Amino acid sequence: MWTQTQRTLLDAILDELVPPSNDGTIPGAGALGVADFLPTADAFAPNPVDTTQAVMMALGESFVELTRPEKVAALHLIEAQKPDAFATLVRLTYMGYYSRPDTRPLFGVGAHPIHPQGYPVPREDEALMDELTAPVRARGKVYRDAK
Amino acid sequence: MQNEPVDVLIIGAGASGAAIAWSLLETRMRILCLEQGPHLKDKGYPSRDDGYELARYGNFSCDPNVRGLKQDYPINADDSCITPVNFNAVGGSTINFLGHWPRMKPSDFRTRSLDGVGADWPVDYDTLAPFYDMNDRNTGVSGLGGNPAYPDYAPELPPIPIGKLGQTLAKGFNARGYHWWPSDVSILSQDHDGRQKCVNAGTCDLGCAAGAKGGTNFTYWPMLENAGVELRSECRVREILVDEATGFATGVLYHGADGQVHEQMAELVVVACNGVGTPRLLLNSKSKAFPDGLANRNGMVGKNLMFHPLTGVAGVFDEPMLGHEGPMACSILSQEFYETDPTRDFVRGYGLHSGRSTPPMTYALGGYGVDSPIPWGAEHREAMDNVYPYLAGLTVVSEDLPEEHNCVTLDPDLTDSDGIAAPKITYRLGDNTRRMLRHGEERAKEILLAAGAKKVLSKGDDNVWWRAGWHQMGTCRMGDDPVTSVVNGWGRSHDVKNLFIVDGSIFPTAGAVNPTSTIQAMALFIGDCIKTNIETLFD
Repeated sequence: MWTQTQRTLLDAILDELVPPSNDGTIPGAGALGVADFLPTADAFAPNPVDTTQAVMMALGESFVELTRPEKVAALHLIEAQKPDAFATLVRLTYMGYYSRPDTRPLFGVGAHPIHPQGYPVPREDEALMDELTAPVRARGKVYRDAK
Repeated sequence: MQNEPVDVLIIGAGASGAAIAWSLLETRMRILCLEQGPHLKDKGYPSRDDGYELARYGNFSCDPNVRGLKQDYPINADDSCITPVNFNAVGGSTINFLGHWPRMKPSDFRTRSLDGVGADWPVDYDTLAPFYDMNDRNTGVSGLGGNPAYPDYAPELPPIPIGKLGQTLAKGFNARGYHWWPSDVSILSQDHDGRQKCVNAGTCDLGCAAGAKGGTNFTYWPMLENAGVELRSECRVREILVDEATGFATGVLYHGADGQVHEQMAELVVVACNGVGTPRLLLNSKSKAFPDGLANRNGMVGKNLMFHPLTGVAGVFDEPMLGHEGPMACSILSQEFYETDPTRDFVRGYGLHSGRSTPPMTYALGGYGVDSPIPWGAEHREAMDNVYPYLAGLTVVSEDLPEEHNCVTLDPDLTDSDGIAAPKITYRLGDNTRRMLRHGEERAKEILLAAGAKKVLSKGDDNVWWRAGWHQMGTCRMGDDPVTSVVNGWGRSHDVKNLFIVDGSIFPTAGAVNPTSTIQAMALFIGDCIKTNIETLFD
């Protein structure tokens, strides 16, 4: 979909929108390949490629040469100049990033489709529930009669 | 095209349509239900997909304007601070509701007498209690008996786990001396009646592929279809027909799955399309006898729209709260501030719900029901790494009061895919509700801090959640006075003696609890009244 030049630029942009963690254990959105998701996202925004390209063109190829603070400043400028396109790109970036099964475990959530496996959550035993609800029961009725 | 006449025609296969069909089974009348949506197939549930969270923003969004599927009708909510949400399929919005199952309380049926606001219901809690019980048995309800916020009753199944998040918040409520209780839920805590127990997937809004949640597609409809109730899916009713001479409903015109317009005659017509769909259908059913819409001689159809306006407050704790594990909206519920207290600057009250949290995408995009993505860049990293896993929140669910200017009308331009006029919502937040939400936000902050939150996050503005229009009530209110209400005390139209309404639109007031349990109890009550009065039903 993207030319090599476009891909390099787009990955650099995406890595600023969702940057990697400082310790490098969590990759940024560019390194994770969110650029591949964007052309497939037309169910979530009209013309996602055109929108992405509008932001890329506004930033220009020289964006990749900038220092990180300069990149952030350039992005803020484009965010102000093209708020709708920028907001759409941010939204789609989050969708592409967090919909990946390999991303969810980085935030404590299972990689698996949520059904049929779900999560094993034990029911509180009766003693714990009795202990927790004791002060509530001790207060007694907290509703009004209506007769 | 004309079809063979039936005795009872029910429009809508959601919560109330299914319940009244079940109630009428024993009459041995020929019952037909028309549903505009399809029968959802097993593979239709996105929770079985790797990227399941994406569906929340596409074809499984709770917002019909986002889904935009053939069976959906658009809703113009430009003049509203809350947009209605729903689902159109066999099961209706019980497909993607969250299964929270609190009952209304005795005072909810007497707000005019007790508090001088709203309207008293023609029925009371005690009358409805056996129908709540009956519906709970048909649905499968989990919870803990002995809740001091209600007259005594006990859910059949033990409570679902409240989890680390619920336990933590419970300690906060206890520290403040406030009421809380494990939520009653129409979610199975153990295998029951041939259905599988909840696996704590946490994505109840994406439909429960396991069938553990009490969607009527898993509860009532298998029973009904086995018993011979005819269900025609992908059939959208265009209008209800009337006999100009008698003023009785004679049947409907509907757009069938075959693309043709059909005429279906019936002796008795039951509307079960809820607080937006029902007034829309009645307003679209114009005739010489009813030039302003069916059953609308007094102009009350569509008036008094009520939602449950919501706002949320979240606490950031020291340890991960694992909020994505377990039924999405249900852990514990406080009704400490539910009843009117004359020392407050508002009447009636609200509930504090501890919903759980979502998987990371929804949080990054602003949270469930909110379109406000968190910041990008370094702030994004901080929020996702150091806030998201540690969150536990409280949602303030307020009682809306009926106000005539909040209403459903027909949009002059917008139509659905069959060319039928779409509904337009006009709704603004009442001052009483606004004060209530502010009070709730402050109490929620106190509770979260008492529970050990190191930081509390709240929006600090007057905006309510946009996609919070789950609970659509009041637009065809019931009452004894035909001047101020659309249906009588047992759901029969004052104007059309063989037309019944059984959904949330008949609620005179809203309470501050999720309404599905009460909607279905009311549908069963109305079914019982129909059976009791069968000899003189149309007098």
